[in-house]
Amino acid sequence: MIAYYTKTLYSIIKNDVLVLPSRMLVFFFIVAIICLPVVSNDPYLLRIIILACIYAIFTASWDLLSGFTGQMSFGHAFFFGVSAYAAALLNRHLHFPPWASIPIGALASVVAGLIIGIPCLRLRGTYLALTTLSFPIILLGIVHAFPDITGGELGISGLDRICRSRIGTYYIVAVSMLLSIATMWKLTSSKFGILLHAIREDEIALRASGINTTRYKIMAFCLSAFFAGIAGGLYAHFMRITGPSTLEVALSFQVVIWGVFGGIATIWGSAGAVFILFPIMEFFRFWPEFRMLIFSFIIIFILLYMPKGLLPWLRDQVEKECPRCKKKNISFRKTCRICTATLG
Amino acid sequence: MPSHILELSSVTKSFGGLKAVYDISFKMNSDDIIGLIGPNGAGKSTLIKLISGILEPDSGEIKFKNQKINGLKTWDIVNLGISFTFQNMRPFRRLPIIANVMTSCMSPRAMKRGEWVKRIEAKAMDFLEFAGISDMALEKASTLSQGDLKRLEVARAIATEPELILLDEPFGGLSPAETELMAKSIKRLHKGGRFGRLHSEGPAMIIVEHKLQQLMKMADRIIVLNYGETVTECAPKELVNNKEVIECYLGKGAL
Repeated sequence: MIAYYTKTLYSIIKNDVLVLPSRMLVFFFIVAIICLPVVSNDPYLLRIIILACIYAIFTASWDLLSGFTGQMSFGHAFFFGVSAYAAALLNRHLHFPPWASIPIGALASVVAGLIIGIPCLRLRGTYLALTTLSFPIILLGIVHAFPDITGGELGISGLDRICRSRIGTYYIVAVSMLLSIATMWKLTSSKFGILLHAIREDEIALRASGINTTRYKIMAFCLSAFFAGIAGGLYAHFMRITGPSTLEVALSFQVVIWGVFGGIATIWGSAGAVFILFPIMEFFRFWPEFRMLIFSFIIIFILLYMPKGLLPWLRDQVEKECPRCKKKNISFRKTCRICTATLG
Repeated sequence: MPSHILELSSVTKSFGGLKAVYDISFKMNSDDIIGLIGPNGAGKSTLIKLISGILEPDSGEIKFKNQKINGLKTWDIVNLGISFTFQNMRPFRRLPIIANVMTSCMSPRAMKRGEWVKRIEAKAMDFLEFAGISDMALEKASTLSQGDLKRLEVARAIATEPELILLDEPFGGLSPAETELMAKSIKRLHKGGRFGRLHSEGPAMIIVEHKLQQLMKMADRIIVLNYGETVTECAPKELVNNKEVIECYLGKGAL
């Protein structure tokens, strides 16, 4: 039995993973994420990777809504903040453990997604972006208006840890990230994903195909809110505090920058961008006055020379598409690995 | 005796002070092909948009199989059995051609009908094959020529397995050879027996077209519109000598 599964796993890795650089990269990234605590127990490094994992879920959720469905959200921190506050309130006042408060927080975020989604159905483009931008600001006002419940400027502190041990916390967050991203990626590459793509391309044409676009747009809002909510809940329990910073406009724009940097409408690209940009920003903390400047230059460079995003650009450099079957091949191959057509 | 599939009574639509469609009434049977002609701005495309639910009439009633469809959403109308193509083609340009058709195959109507054991991809390939663009199924829609885009529009419209198709200028911008091919496809579609249920009847059709020669060969009846009103409704043969029709195209005193 064990020999059979080992053999199957080996053949999958050999025939499906090691044939393309992008797949190899994802494979080694997953192996590295799993093995990191074995190699290093440095609390600072683990903290950086845990935060990167949380932000990766958050950025991928933005990509699901704005990249795939074309519903440009400039206020994605709303979902993050709603969940963070919901998890914090449940934990602090009702003593819910993190394993309950995080999913319930994510569900609260889904309700928030419905609240935003329904009035935004008739809006698109700039109008939608500005409307979504207003929601976290409104919630921020509510947070400041009821300091007895929300803690006002100071937020809600003293939350329970996700897990007592640091390594345990790391694995819970890392596995949540891998599962969330895999789910989102699978969703977007399914038939449901085709409909989301089509909404972004031409909503009226999709209605003419007999598809209830309203339903799918609301589903996209709710799904995106759910995953952003998972990230928000994990963040609240990892930091052990939830404050107005979870609703800041800067956080909403940060996620847009990460998404655009990594490549929109990819899921893996936007999530990967966090693992590049977040550690870089941490590295530049020694020069706080130049930090934002360097960051801005990197973003401008990427937007100018790699408009599809850094990771899709890198992928295009090392892989080429077969003109016949449209499958990806490593760039030095002369014939397609699937249909043996000659590669140009 | 075939039943009335579509019935319009006194349908009117205005945009501000402009009456785009005024008091239009007609009935059509389930085996009819109706040609809708008229000069630019006559209200042909507006009428198509009113039937398909993109626009809502100000007054009047549109009935499909004895069910009032005014005010229904476009997707509900499509799922009842009316599908349509756009005058200016609206493909999902960044999606593969097969995915363009798969969207229609995923509509509730299409999911309920047809050979249910078939995968959606296989159904979509059937429709592409009918339209004659199955060899390009994996290409992006942005790579298609004008003629092939028209074919894609038709493939997407028939993929919902409709009982009535509204074709808005299906020959517009096509070369004579492409027009001939498209006309053949439309005729074959109308004959039926090809899709979904094994012995399906072909859908009824309303065709808006400026290429009258092709249209006259296909249509059972022609409705002529001018300034949003019906000028005449007659058989194609009678149209050539109709004084009112010649006047609305060439102006009064042309004869």
